[in-house]
Amino acid sequence: MPEPDENHSKGNIVLVTDGASIPDPREWRLINAWSISLAGAICVLAGLFLFSPDPYERIVRYLPDGMLVTFKITIMSICFAVPLGLLTGLGRISRNRGINLIASTYVEIIRGIPLLVQLFYIYYALSRFVTVSGTTSAVIAISICYGAYMGEVFRAGISAIPKGQTEAARSLGFSRVQTMFLVVLPQAWRTILPPVGNECIAMLKDTALVSIMAVPDIMQRARSFVGTTYLYFETYTVVALVYLIITLLLSKAVSIMESRLNYYDGK
Amino acid sequence: MKSVCRFLLGCGALLLGLTVCAGQTFAKEKYIVASDCTWPPMEFLNDQKQVQGYSTDFIRAVAEAVGIEVEVRNIAWDGIFGGVATGQYDIVASSTTITEERKKQFDFTDPYFEVHQAVIVPAGKQVSTLADLKGKKVGGQIATTGIFVMRNAKVDCELKEYDDVGLAIQDLVGGRIDAVICDDPVAMYYVNMKKDYAGKLNLSFKTEDKELYGFTIKKGREDLLKKLNEGIAKVKAAGLDKEFAKKWMGQ
Repeated sequence: MPEPDENHSKGNIVLVTDGASIPDPREWRLINAWSISLAGAICVLAGLFLFSPDPYERIVRYLPDGMLVTFKITIMSICFAVPLGLLTGLGRISRNRGINLIASTYVEIIRGIPLLVQLFYIYYALSRFVTVSGTTSAVIAISICYGAYMGEVFRAGISAIPKGQTEAARSLGFSRVQTMFLVVLPQAWRTILPPVGNECIAMLKDTALVSIMAVPDIMQRARSFVGTTYLYFETYTVVALVYLIITLLLSKAVSIMESRLNYYDGK
Repeated sequence: MKSVCRFLLGCGALLLGLTVCAGQTFAKEKYIVASDCTWPPMEFLNDQKQVQGYSTDFIRAVAEAVGIEVEVRNIAWDGIFGGVATGQYDIVASSTTITEERKKQFDFTDPYFEVHQAVIVPAGKQVSTLADLKGKKVGGQIATTGIFVMRNAKVDCELKEYDDVGLAIQDLVGGRIDAVICDDPVAMYYVNMKKDYAGKLNLSFKTEDKELYGFTIKKGREDLLKKLNEGIAKVKAAGLDKEFAKKWMGQ
């Protein structure tokens, strides 16, 4: 029977994320999974570029504008998804039955529909009523989808804060809103940030789906390049390496952030 | 354990027997044909999800003429050439225009149909040259010759590359893009024969340059190439190509 202590509550958070984060922030050895992957990816890319510049240089030159679009969609989606996730998380723990029901229903519905279907729905199906551009639909669909996922992260993070904190704040005369924003959330932030960072990385990877809406992201640029040259192996190797390098760098950033936040845990 | 071994052995023997039988009954060589069924009326799916269209009828007639058997499968356009290069199927019969770039990587049969590029705009609008599309949003199917023609024309327009031409037409009707470029039989099908779009689209003009469709096979399969060319010649001699054109395009 698990005890309802702090550690157990933290265990809850691990459940809603993708498991232990790689790179592990406590891993300071030079050779680890992360450094091998990054060095490997960069070496392979540089090697291909140097030893066989003919197709690879053309491919690498073809992709950068796609990279900009990918980053643009990711950053804009993060800007909308994080506040939406926070609202949803708060709604999920709200004692107001109406708000709770709305937030829970939103999470249930969105989690049950694949992102690809949501993209098609917003872009092609809803175009009967409103017409928005491909990039806008992409940002809306990804924000709504990841808002629901992040809502669960926020909910888990907030419920992980021991009840004593709320009780103490309330007994000192803080209102409910003050308790949440001045006492609970600043503490919860520490456990929430790493999984939210991981969700953002997952989001970047999922932007590869927007190429179906004729949005010229990395993936679409690659497909268009393949369409004229038929260099399937070469092009998709470069695309995979580019995505890998971007996500490895971002995951290191999340890991550094995590280790800073856990500085006082003395682990 | 012993019984399991015996069972497996039995299965193997049975399978071997079946293969031998099958080899005897189907003496005809069987080839797999890939078609991207998003290109009406050249190749598309009917209500029963079966592949149909001009190219489909043509390759079947060719197969019959030279005594081979073909099985037509629906394969997504994006990657259809990759599959033929790796040998997942033998022939691409998917309205592929014979181009110099493609010829470097694949072998093509003799041409079996001739098309032009056509530009579709919403009803009531009109463009008469590719240069008129300057500053407009132009859609087409990814990696098709329509896109290549726009790109080579160096017109300063925003090219939108869709997974299939139907989605591009849908966006044209919805007003997200200003024009769609594709092969003229496909354009005529969407403008004149598709009930949902009746009166909404205008086939504004066709380019002068003609394009020729050929069946695509992996480089170095001389025997198959020879057989298909022989079949195409027979089908044309029998006048079947005109019959198919009348059936699918009404011309």
